[in-house]
Amino acid sequence: MKKLYSNKPVIFSLVLPGLLVFLFAVMAPIGLSVYYGFTDYSGMGEVRLIGFDNYVDLFHDNAFGRSLKNSLLLAVGFICIQHPLAILVAAVLDKLQGKAEGIFRCIYFIPNVISVAVIAYLWKFIYNPDFGLLNNIAKAFGHPGKINWLSQQNAIWAVLIVLIWHGFGWGMLIYYTGIKNIDPVLYEAASIDGANWWTTFFGITLPLMKPVIQINVTMAVISALKQMETVYLLTNGGPNNSTQFAANYLYQQAFKAFKYGYGNAIGVVFIIICVLVTVALNSIFKEKRESAA
Amino acid sequence: MKENNKKIGKVVLWVVLIAVAVIQLFPLVWLVDFSLGSSNEMFTNGLLIIPEKIRWDNYVKAFVDGNFLHYLRNSVLINTLAVVLVVFISIMAAFACQRMKWKLNGFVSTLLVMGMMIPIHATLLPNYKIYSALHLTDTIWALLIPYVAFSMPQGMFLMTGFIQALPKELEEAAVMDGCGIYRIVFQIVTPLLKPSIATVAIMTFLNNWNEFMMASTYLSTPTWKTLPFSVLEFTGEYSSNYAVQFAVMALTAAPAVIVYVILNKHITKGVAMGAVKG
Amino acid sequence: MKKRMLTTLLTAAMTASVLTGCGGLAKESASTAANDEAAAKPQIVDVEENETPAERSDEAVKLKLFSNLPDRKNGQGLVEQMIIDEYMAENPDVTIEVEALDEEAYKTKFKAYAMDGMPDVVSIWGQPAFLDEVLDAGVLAELNEDDYLDYSFIAGSLEGFKKDDKLYGLPRNTDIMLFYYNQKMFDDNGWKVPATMDDLLTLCTEIQAAGITPVAMDGGDGWPMACFLTDIMVKVTGINYADIISNAVATGDFTAPEIKQATQILVNFADAGMFQVGYDSQDYGTTMNLFTNGQAAMYCMGSWDASMALNEDIAPEIRDNIRVFTMPTVEGGKGGANDIAAWNGGGYAVSVNSAVKDEAIKFLNYMYQPDKLSKYGWENGVGMSAQDQTAYLTGNETELQKQIMEILKNATSVSGTPINDCGPSAFKTAIESEIQGVSNGSTSVDDFLAAIGAACK
Repeated sequence: MKKLYSNKPVIFSLVLPGLLVFLFAVMAPIGLSVYYGFTDYSGMGEVRLIGFDNYVDLFHDNAFGRSLKNSLLLAVGFICIQHPLAILVAAVLDKLQGKAEGIFRCIYFIPNVISVAVIAYLWKFIYNPDFGLLNNIAKAFGHPGKINWLSQQNAIWAVLIVLIWHGFGWGMLIYYTGIKNIDPVLYEAASIDGANWWTTFFGITLPLMKPVIQINVTMAVISALKQMETVYLLTNGGPNNSTQFAANYLYQQAFKAFKYGYGNAIGVVFIIICVLVTVALNSIFKEKRESAA
Repeated sequence: MKENNKKIGKVVLWVVLIAVAVIQLFPLVWLVDFSLGSSNEMFTNGLLIIPEKIRWDNYVKAFVDGNFLHYLRNSVLINTLAVVLVVFISIMAAFACQRMKWKLNGFVSTLLVMGMMIPIHATLLPNYKIYSALHLTDTIWALLIPYVAFSMPQGMFLMTGFIQALPKELEEAAVMDGCGIYRIVFQIVTPLLKPSIATVAIMTFLNNWNEFMMASTYLSTPTWKTLPFSVLEFTGEYSSNYAVQFAVMALTAAPAVIVYVILNKHITKGVAMGAVKG
Repeated sequence: MKKRMLTTLLTAAMTASVLTGCGGLAKESASTAANDEAAAKPQIVDVEENETPAERSDEAVKLKLFSNLPDRKNGQGLVEQMIIDEYMAENPDVTIEVEALDEEAYKTKFKAYAMDGMPDVVSIWGQPAFLDEVLDAGVLAELNEDDYLDYSFIAGSLEGFKKDDKLYGLPRNTDIMLFYYNQKMFDDNGWKVPATMDDLLTLCTEIQAAGITPVAMDGGDGWPMACFLTDIMVKVTGINYADIISNAVATGDFTAPEIKQATQILVNFADAGMFQVGYDSQDYGTTMNLFTNGQAAMYCMGSWDASMALNEDIAPEIRDNIRVFTMPTVEGGKGGANDIAAWNGGGYAVSVNSAVKDEAIKFLNYMYQPDKLSKYGWENGVGMSAQDQTAYLTGNETELQKQIMEILKNATSVSGTPINDCGPSAFKTAIESEIQGVSNGSTSVDDFLAAIGAACK
């Protein structure tokens, strides 16, 4: 058994496909990005090494700063708006029995399976000041309508709303599963003690959901950092970079402004930030869990 | 008193649930509603319209000019292949790292899972360069390789957890019977992983089905274009006809929604299993 | 009449040729206009289409055309597709595959293509922001200028497509910046076409009071607003436009009073609610639809959209009533009513690395045979081509076409390249984003000028 399980060629053959894919599709491009990040390559013609110039520029680049701020804002939005809502709805849904429970769960998740391409264009229409759904709703409530939802000041919130709407079902489902995993005996005990729904929610459900919440928060922060597709189609970072995100910005710089080298430098910094944030969040939560235990 | 409270609680509960359901669904109802009218009917003050004449021809246009069947076929094919590859690669690698005895197993396992942290869009620029140098752009590989690569870490992560939870006794018995490693992996372990495979498959499918950034960067001809292109191309082609644009959006969303509604129990179960773990 | 038309066209275009270059970036003087050469050395041109089919190999040829015209059923896209279909019918061994994207998406993808291997025939823009880097990289095939002597290109129209006196592309249009307006709506409400900026502002207030959007502006894309700014600037600076801009681009200093004044006018317009709500986030199609659905009284765009008059998707009561006027004059400005913002922008080129380069050039030349792009374009209501179209006047032109012809005929000067296309692409990217900020009031005029200046360095 031992011999069989430590047969090097066999191990190698099992791991090889995974490693190859990883090296070719993840490591190789990162390596190439690091290289181009040190050049002023425009995308065509000559490649010239310019040292850390791109990184120095990046440090002073307002639009990039704006991208990171937007990611932070989005993450805060997810954590403070989407997740509390998702937990509450999950807890309420848990109270429901029978068929209705499944139907609601199904409805909430539907936006998630729809392509971002459809979602982004759909919301572009919903936000349209002239015939969009939102302004028509505003009119139904007596407001004159004509609100510019995608203005420089509003656009980032508009993006946040789309993302919250689109991802709500996912977050809800995970919390819902977490709640279902809580031992019902605890609830019975609480109800014998005369606790009402709110005290049960804050006394039992929330504390026991901690690990799930931690995972979800981590995911929320990372997806806020990685945001690109919705913004690319909905606002393309505009007006005037007010909804810019790192991924969209590097794409624009490389393929629109002809600064391929600079775009790659953004990519490298972007990767480093993502890795650092993931590691940091994981270690924070891990410490907490350990100190709690 | 207590009874009354309970009643009020029930009403609040239903109101909340229905309100959320309306918010989640209404935009889609709106989409379908306007896709059946004509473009000028868009400029109303009402929330929904009753089209003067139901215009199915919007859908005919969307279906034919949107290359719907062709793109759908590509989407299904590419996603299925990606799922199969991700499942196999991650079972093999996870098994090797989790069960087999070698020095670097921990390192390789971490390395492969680490891919989860890498933002996929950061690789758009260099990968474009690599794929064009290797003449992979505008081929199925240009989508398959990154789709597999960026779903594999998650698959690997999930599979490692699932394999860890499997009892070792079965494998030991298999070894006694003289099974080789490959037979153990594919004939003993893989069937035991069925629910896990479903989870990985669903997660991979959901990740990649809606992807279009890479598709629009690496592809140029319609040969391998996927479903989101129906929408992307239409907004340019029919820029002056909103109703047809709505029809193509509804049509593009339809396959995933229909499949989801039919399989919703299995899919939600799969997602829940994967996401809580992941 | 025809002759007069031609001469004026030529005169207008000659002025254009003097102004096309954006100074610091234009590498050669524009004095060698194509038709001077034509006059100097008349020669028989070997037009490749005249080759007999027998000379060609029988092997199937596949051409890839990368186009910025996604709408294949109207306007220029339709014209392009018609020619492609004809060419394939005449050359059964050739198949032409089209990939068409919206302008913005097109330019992005073009740059990606430029890195490694382009489609055989591509849409290009003969303007520094687009072409300089492309030509420096040497990805476009050189064309033989002598081939085009009898293609009746308007004098000077080829200049933007040259580098070191070598020709790399051909222009498709003569673009004029215009206000399209709904004449019936104007008549019904007693509105008059404005002659001065003040008139325009008053008019906009009146239109607003009637609950209608005065001007539909595609501010989401950035470039139409930059063209609009160019138009204002022409009225402020007159024939000095090109000098002032090229000087600013070369030094990175955009604080010239004329530029400041023009920007301020744009800001005032936007501030007065001249554009639709949310203009700075709306795209091309949405903006145009606002006008073609009667939600906006005017629409600011280039002459290429004159094909609206023949677009079946637009209700007849609107499409038949579309008329145009040019930017009104600014008080104290040096530009007169007939100094217009116009240029030869879009066109086609062939990839230098194309495996079927000869066939690609042959197709290119086919498209530019005077009775193809130019004629079909005219017949389908597209604006002015970059070739002499006088032979194809049918008398059945739309009112819109006649008006545009008139505007060009009466032009005393034309601006050449719009401001956003005068610098490197980093400048273009910056101005097209910053202009959204300055027009919606979140950036001051001074900060805007400083930001676009910084992008030139």
